[in-house]
Amino acid sequence: MSEKIILKKTSHGNFDDAANAALFLAVFIGIWQVVFMLGIWPKISLPSPYMVAESFVKIIWNHSLPVSIGVTLVRLVAAFAISIALGTLIGLAMIKFKGFGKTLSSFSAGLLSFPSIAWVPFSILLIGFNDFGILFVVIMSSIFSIMISTYSSIRNIPPIYLDAAKNMGAKGFYLFRHVTIPAATPSLIIGIRQAWSFAWHAIIGAEILMSIVGLGHILSVGRDFLDMGQVIASMITIFAIGLLVDRLLLFKLDERVRKKWGLDHHR
Amino acid sequence: MVRYERRRFLTTKLQARNIVKHFDHNGNSVLALDGINLNVEEGDFICIVGPSGCGKSTFLNIIAGLEKPDSGEILLNGNQVTTSGPDRTMVFQEGALFPWLKVIDNVEFGLKMAGIPNDERRQISERYLDMMQLTKFADSYTYQLSTGMKQRVAIARALAMDPEILLMDEPFAALDSQTRDLLLVELQLIWERTKKTIIFVTHNISESVILGNRVVVFKNRPSKIKKEFVIDYRRPRLAEDENLQKYYHQIIEELKSEVIARIKDENL
Repeated sequence: MSEKIILKKTSHGNFDDAANAALFLAVFIGIWQVVFMLGIWPKISLPSPYMVAESFVKIIWNHSLPVSIGVTLVRLVAAFAISIALGTLIGLAMIKFKGFGKTLSSFSAGLLSFPSIAWVPFSILLIGFNDFGILFVVIMSSIFSIMISTYSSIRNIPPIYLDAAKNMGAKGFYLFRHVTIPAATPSLIIGIRQAWSFAWHAIIGAEILMSIVGLGHILSVGRDFLDMGQVIASMITIFAIGLLVDRLLLFKLDERVRKKWGLDHHR
Repeated sequence: MVRYERRRFLTTKLQARNIVKHFDHNGNSVLALDGINLNVEEGDFICIVGPSGCGKSTFLNIIAGLEKPDSGEILLNGNQVTTSGPDRTMVFQEGALFPWLKVIDNVEFGLKMAGIPNDERRQISERYLDMMQLTKFADSYTYQLSTGMKQRVAIARALAMDPEILLMDEPFAALDSQTRDLLLVELQLIWERTKKTIIFVTHNISESVILGNRVVVFKNRPSKIKKEFVIDYRRPRLAEDENLQKYYHQIIEELKSEVIARIKDENL
């Protein structure tokens, strides 16, 4: 297995990918500019790319963008950490107590597809119009994904791994730590990526409806002041952060595991 | 020949007493093993052959403690065993290596569990990797190996545990015939060197004739031991050895009616 060849291939691939992405963006902005110049919509409804860039500078300059990003990310990380911890525990309990697991997983389609926004009124009345209310919405939107993926990842481990491990004397925590967890990892990562995307949906929604600071909030302020430039600038920020986190963190993690397992080697 | 005669008077390593096992098949209980009795002497090499689905792998799993019999017992050195343990390590058909570990860590897995210190572990695993001619691949991941190499790692992993008895469940079934012929010789050499007691399950009669001191033929379901053959022939035996043909024909004659019975079962 020649490491060098593989490296060359991927770095070449990365360059191609970047060039393609840049080209795509240039075309997109070009079309946007053309549509703007056709004057179908008034400027206030559809500003030009340049006007949006000006809005960007404005909200960076008055600190509302950096503060919003900071607040949103802190909330998100806190909620997501709780979600992973609790979701994993419940998922493990589902494995341990078979009846409980079976019952809960039979509701999984409903739990997974439940719209995050639908938690907002419940959260406002239960917890209040505050940070904890937002955390609650984010946790409820992502925890089921973690729970169900923990449950199904462990249940779908090929029995031969467990048989082989037991046959070599592994049991209890050692079996769990050295076989169950690593064997479930590729599929657990998929669950975490999905939960992350649900959490990201949820926090923006929750901030639009129940916050006075955060990315979702500056989005709704833009609407209140008919400032489409700010609305689009916020949207671009939200898009960029979602993409960056997935590409730089979750995708990298996924790729590393897949490479180690040889999952990308089709023979 | 002399060696084998002497082995016959050695101590009993493993005893299967009246093993009975039912299967659940579409809600019906099917009798798979109908009272299997088998004595295995220390250092013996036993092959079990039978029509597919006759329960020979189930029997091996019961010896390994991976499945429980409905009745009957397994005695190892005279003591009953009921759970899976490293004194009876298994080489599975395929796919039992851990893809998240390097080759050498796969071999060390059970030793680590047994609490053997780092240095000693490394020494043992290196010895068995060397025996299997895999030293160069110690730091590879399993996907980088061919099927034959993977099975050699699996054998190294099982031997590293220094088991009382080595159980092999069709370990060469997925290999191409050249690789298999090589491994058949290699396994005989390893058996002579390590003096391990081996029970080897296969559906391949020539494999059983090449490897076994005794070949035990299982009947079609409900399975019993139909007949036993003693293969009294010098080692290492080669796949192309003409003199093994007569054993092969005796066994295939015995199995023919069972395979036909099996096919009739499947057509019902």
